[in-house]
Amino acid sequence: MADAITEQFSAPLTFNWTLSYRCNFSCSHCYSRDEVGEELPTADIKRIIDILAEKQVPFINFGGGEPLIRPDLFEIAAYATEKGLNVSMNSNGWLLDLEAAQQLKASGFKSVGVSIDSAEAELHDDFRCMPGSFVKAVAALDALRAVGLRSTMSSVISRINYHSFRELLQLAREHGVHQVYLHNFKCSGRGFKNREELDLSPQEWKAFYVEALAVKAATSDLSISFDDPVISSLPGYEANPLVKGSSCGKLSLHLRPDGDITPCGFIPLVVGNILREDFDKMWYDSPILNAMRSKEAKGKCSGCGAFADCLGGCTARAFATTGDFCEPDPHCWK
Amino acid sequence: MNLKRNPEIVWRIEKRREADVLAAMERGEDVSEHGTVILIASGMMHQLNFVGGRIWALCDGTRSDEELFALLAGEFEVDAAELSADLTEFINDLTQREWLRRG
Repeated sequence: MADAITEQFSAPLTFNWTLSYRCNFSCSHCYSRDEVGEELPTADIKRIIDILAEKQVPFINFGGGEPLIRPDLFEIAAYATEKGLNVSMNSNGWLLDLEAAQQLKASGFKSVGVSIDSAEAELHDDFRCMPGSFVKAVAALDALRAVGLRSTMSSVISRINYHSFRELLQLAREHGVHQVYLHNFKCSGRGFKNREELDLSPQEWKAFYVEALAVKAATSDLSISFDDPVISSLPGYEANPLVKGSSCGKLSLHLRPDGDITPCGFIPLVVGNILREDFDKMWYDSPILNAMRSKEAKGKCSGCGAFADCLGGCTARAFATTGDFCEPDPHCWK
Repeated sequence: MNLKRNPEIVWRIEKRREADVLAAMERGEDVSEHGTVILIASGMMHQLNFVGGRIWALCDGTRSDEELFALLAGEFEVDAAELSADLTEFINDLTQREWLRRG
C-alpha cells in the first residue's frame, strides 16, 4: 500500500539498533533493562549491515543495553563505516575510557552520545542506580573530546531534572559536547512501571517545553534537540517539512538484538525479522507501520487544530497507555 | 574550479520515487515539486526535485560548469538560455548554503 511516506522514502533514514539488552547499569527509566533476547553473532550483524547499505539507510545508531558490552562493537562499526553508513551510538559512559574512545574513533564512529540525567553527581548516580556513574560519564565526554570524536549528551527529562535542564546544558558546554538531546520520557519498560514517580503532568510538560524552546532559541553555542511531536503547536518549534508527528516507522525503525524490527524501541510490536523477511515488503506493506503512518484523530484529538502537525503526538506513549496508536498522547496538555 | 558536494551532507536518491517521476515526465506532467533526492544538512532534511537531484549527483568535483551544462543540455529538452539561468541560480543557492563548494 503506497502512502505519503513510502511514496517519498524507500527506506528509513535511521535504524536505532539495540545490539544487546545486556547492560552494566540498572536505570529507573530504562525501556529495555527487563528484556531478554537472543543476540546475533558478528557474521549475522554484518549481513544486516549489508542489507541496510543496499537499502541506502544512511544512519545507524547503536543503543541498548550498553553497546560497549559487545566486544565486537568496533569491528561492527568499522564494517558499517566501510559500507558507507554513518555510525553513532549512545552509552552510559562507564566503559568509555581513553582507550575505548580511541577505538571508537578508529572504527569510524561519527559521534558518540553519553547519557547524563543530572548535573548533580549524586542525583545522576541515584537515578542510574550506579555510584560513581556521573564521574565516569563526564570522563567519557572528556575522553571523546581528547581523541577528537564528536560527542553528544542525552538527558531523559523527568521529575528529577525538568527544573534544572540549564545546568545540564552548562555541563555539556564545559565538556565540549556538540549537541544535547533532551529526550521526552517514555512509558515503556521500567519507565512504564515507574511513571507515577518520574513522569511529568501534561501542564508540567508544556511549561518545560515553553521554557526549553525559548532557551534553544537564545542559544547559539550548543545545539539543543527535542524529539517530541507533542510540542508542534508551541512557538519556536521547527517543524519537519516532510514528515509530521512521530518519526518512528517513517524516518526511523528499531532493530532488536535478534534482528527483529519494531517501529521504535518503545513499541513492542514486531514488524518482521530483517534476516528472514524481505525488507521492502515490511517497509511498504507492514500493517503495523501503515497504521502508524495513517493515524486518525481520536478522543480529544478529534477537532483539535494542532492534530494536522502533531498527529496525536508520540505514538509510543499513546500505545503504551491505551493499546491504540490513534489515542491522544498522554503528555498532551490541550 | 569544479563544483563538489559538501562531504558533510548525507544524501540518497529515492530510486522508486525517481522512477515514478520519470514516468510522470513521460506523460507530460509537471514534476517540479516532486522531490527525488533527500539531503540531510546540519540535521535538517531537504528534498531536491529531479533536475536539482541530477545536478547534485553530477557535482562530484570532476566536471567544470561548462561540462555540467553540456551534460544537462543533452539530458533535458529545454531552451539553452533557460537552462543556463536555472543552473546558475541553483548553483548560487547551493554554494551560498555551503552544500556545494568550489575546488
